[in-house]
Amino acid sequence: MIGRRPQYRSVDVHAHLGPYSLFFIPTPDAATMVAVMDATGTDVTVLAANRAIQQDAHLGNSQSLAAVDAYPDRIAAYAVVNPWQDPERELTRLADDARFVGIKVHPSLHRYPVTGTRYAAVWKFAAETGCPVLSHSEHRSPYDSPAMFRTVAERYPGTSVILGHAGITPPGVDEAIEVASRYESLLLEVCGSHMTGPLIRSMVDQIGSDRVLFGSDFPFIDQRMSLGRVVCAPLTEGQRQDVLSGNARKLFRWRPLPGGRGVDQ
Amino acid sequence: MVTGAHPASLLPAADREAIAAHLDRFELSGALVSAMASWLHDPIGGNSEASAVAHDLADRGVVACWTAVPATAGELDSLSGLVERALDDGVAAFRIHPASHGYSPGLLDELYEALEANRLPLCVDAAELSWPELGAIATRHPELPIVLSTLGYRKLRELWAALDGHPNVHVDLVDFAAHQGAEWLAENDLADRLLFATGLGVRDPGESIVRLAWSGLDDPTVRRVGFGNASRLFRLGARP
Repeated sequence: MIGRRPQYRSVDVHAHLGPYSLFFIPTPDAATMVAVMDATGTDVTVLAANRAIQQDAHLGNSQSLAAVDAYPDRIAAYAVVNPWQDPERELTRLADDARFVGIKVHPSLHRYPVTGTRYAAVWKFAAETGCPVLSHSEHRSPYDSPAMFRTVAERYPGTSVILGHAGITPPGVDEAIEVASRYESLLLEVCGSHMTGPLIRSMVDQIGSDRVLFGSDFPFIDQRMSLGRVVCAPLTEGQRQDVLSGNARKLFRWRPLPGGRGVDQ
Repeated sequence: MVTGAHPASLLPAADREAIAAHLDRFELSGALVSAMASWLHDPIGGNSEASAVAHDLADRGVVACWTAVPATAGELDSLSGLVERALDDGVAAFRIHPASHGYSPGLLDELYEALEANRLPLCVDAAELSWPELGAIATRHPELPIVLSTLGYRKLRELWAALDGHPNVHVDLVDFAAHQGAEWLAENDLADRLLFATGLGVRDPGESIVRLAWSGLDDPTVRRVGFGNASRLFRLGARP
């Protein structure tokens, strides 16, 4: 039985903010997101504004920072780097602003391969600083299929890269597991419309519970969809805690996430 | 819920034992069960599998949902006859898969009339028919309850038009994935059109369980969505 009060604390490492043109999102604002987090036991959410990924990285990143300013104890920001929109400018901004805790890239949306030279500055920055990078990953995408991250991992072995959605589809998850099993710098994040508890269990079994991260993609998708799969997944309680919060706390060390809850409670 | 194995999923087959365990684990007071075989193998023949589970678990509040296809020589003699047999069997609803089964939903007028006359709801996945097709059925049969399932997260604009224009259209929680979608319906006085469902067999039930339990809905609304709406729509209290 699942009661009305969440029994776990979590950190959501894959979220967005604001409207999106392709479909209507009710109340995609930071205040509503924090209210959802209150209901789901989420201590911190790391987000990248939809405007940043969809249209204007610089303006969108400003929206993300505004959300951090409004909820500094609950929200942290990725700086979106669009390879077509002056990536060096956003990396300089990221370096100078401690409110950013990581980088978000979206090769599929920006139609540029994750292995391309326009991303080189991102990987160089991450390698030098320890800044984690969250990338969209999508099975069979010419821009960010899981197998393409082999190239990134080999070129930048010390850079922590989160494969958002872990390839999205079940075959994509298998591909993501295969590449992550070879490179310890790669981590898998669990949100996506085709994700299930058994698939999450496959990740944990094959690469270890210490490299699987909870993310929800909200407010694209309701946060509780992804959270429910983890909460009900056939995992040990230790594995579940790793996925829900422990790994995120360990990963975001360059600029630690707000609050100290999640790992030990 | 859908009983039977899915051919392309890691989700375990939702057989009788799995459904019983699911009811136990989440303390569910009932379920509407259709057959995977009716969707992915033998539309009419598979209905017996749904009924078998429903009969076995009748004391747990499990009822069957049958699948219909157009009357076709050698496959099905009569849609109204199928509904009569379903009523005799205690079936609580029907499901259609026009896209998967390769026909126009307009070929099922006889089914819609029989269901409407007997107040049996029609369940359909959003991907199985177009919005205009849905609207046409809902308009022609205003007393036929229609339950949309597996809406995803990108369809609220179309859903709003369907709900606003047709009081007989409902939606369930199977992959009802829009951020704050349930809360949005409630704020717009549409909570009576939302039904709890896990999609066991085709979706990870954790999605809907946590979606409702940790929602922003108040307790009375959670009870309505979790039980009251389905009880009214499927007339669960009126069944033996």
